[in-house]
Amino acid sequence: MANISVVTKKRILDTNDQEAAKTREAFKEAGLFAVNLISSPGSGKTTLLEKTIEKLNPEQNSAVIVGDLETSRDAERVAPFAKEVVQINTGLSCHLYANQIQESLKGLNLSEIDFCFIENVGNMVCPGEFDLGENAKIILLSTPEGDDKVAKYPTIFRAADLVLLTKCDLLKVLDFNMDRVKEDIYKLNSNVKIIELSSLSGQGMEEWLSWLKDNRTSFIGAKAKFVTE
Amino acid sequence: MHEMSIAAEILDQVIEQAKVNNLVRVSEVTLEVGFLKQVVPELMIIAFESITTDTIVERARLKIVEVPSIAKCNECSYSFEPKINNFLCPKCERADVNVISGNDIILKAIFGEVKE
Repeated sequence: MANISVVTKKRILDTNDQEAAKTREAFKEAGLFAVNLISSPGSGKTTLLEKTIEKLNPEQNSAVIVGDLETSRDAERVAPFAKEVVQINTGLSCHLYANQIQESLKGLNLSEIDFCFIENVGNMVCPGEFDLGENAKIILLSTPEGDDKVAKYPTIFRAADLVLLTKCDLLKVLDFNMDRVKEDIYKLNSNVKIIELSSLSGQGMEEWLSWLKDNRTSFIGAKAKFVTE
Repeated sequence: MHEMSIAAEILDQVIEQAKVNNLVRVSEVTLEVGFLKQVVPELMIIAFESITTDTIVERARLKIVEVPSIAKCNECSYSFEPKINNFLCPKCERADVNVISGNDIILKAIFGEVKE
């Protein structure tokens, strides 16, 4: 037997990226705006979704795709508000894959949806590496987690299109240095928008809803332009 | 532990490349890993070893070549090597950059026995 060396240039994660590109195309076709919500467990993703979708109703319809290792509790929580809900149980996987989103789209009537919220598995590391076909990555950091988390988990913040600092109603009882957090984010991603928010008190909710609506409009505007050309 | 997901995809690609090139056994795999990919080489090797059991890649050596990151400032076009938690351009002091290197994982080469 002879030994040979084979030189390749294969990009790993290409398969995931190709699936994500298909999803992005499907979203674009349907004229909906999709966001990938990433944070550690317990940062308030589901509560934020409950409040957000309630406020977007009835003018705008939302679909939610929720990833968790186990249970359908999050899906049950958002179900009263969302037009469509899909729960993905990832078992031992610490993040969602693009093909899981592709699969979940099969059961959805995308043409009736304006916003698709993908709630990723609670994890500050791995979800950042896997494109799901979303239009924007939104990173949530809740104030009780501490003001050192941007410096500790920098990669996910560098990938962010929007940072939501949640549970800001608790700032008065926490030793949380907001300037430090913003400075750490600036060092990674100087252009990213940061919203201080509380789902409980409603602080920042209007700004967040405007961000969603404005970004959807610019996305759909781009699509309209594309069609004319 | 996204090393396991990555290892699974490396294995798929290695087996595909082995088939195309008539390799019956793979003894070495060279992987280029970008600095920004947050891959821990030791964990990557453990994940790779466990996932390749009972395949033609079993007991292959995984060689990991780390690729440094290069960022190019979108404002002044200056290129520099960022730190994992600091992407500020040394000239503009803003982190508005295009990463031109260090953000990929590439299967570079495989080495093994060919069918005669």
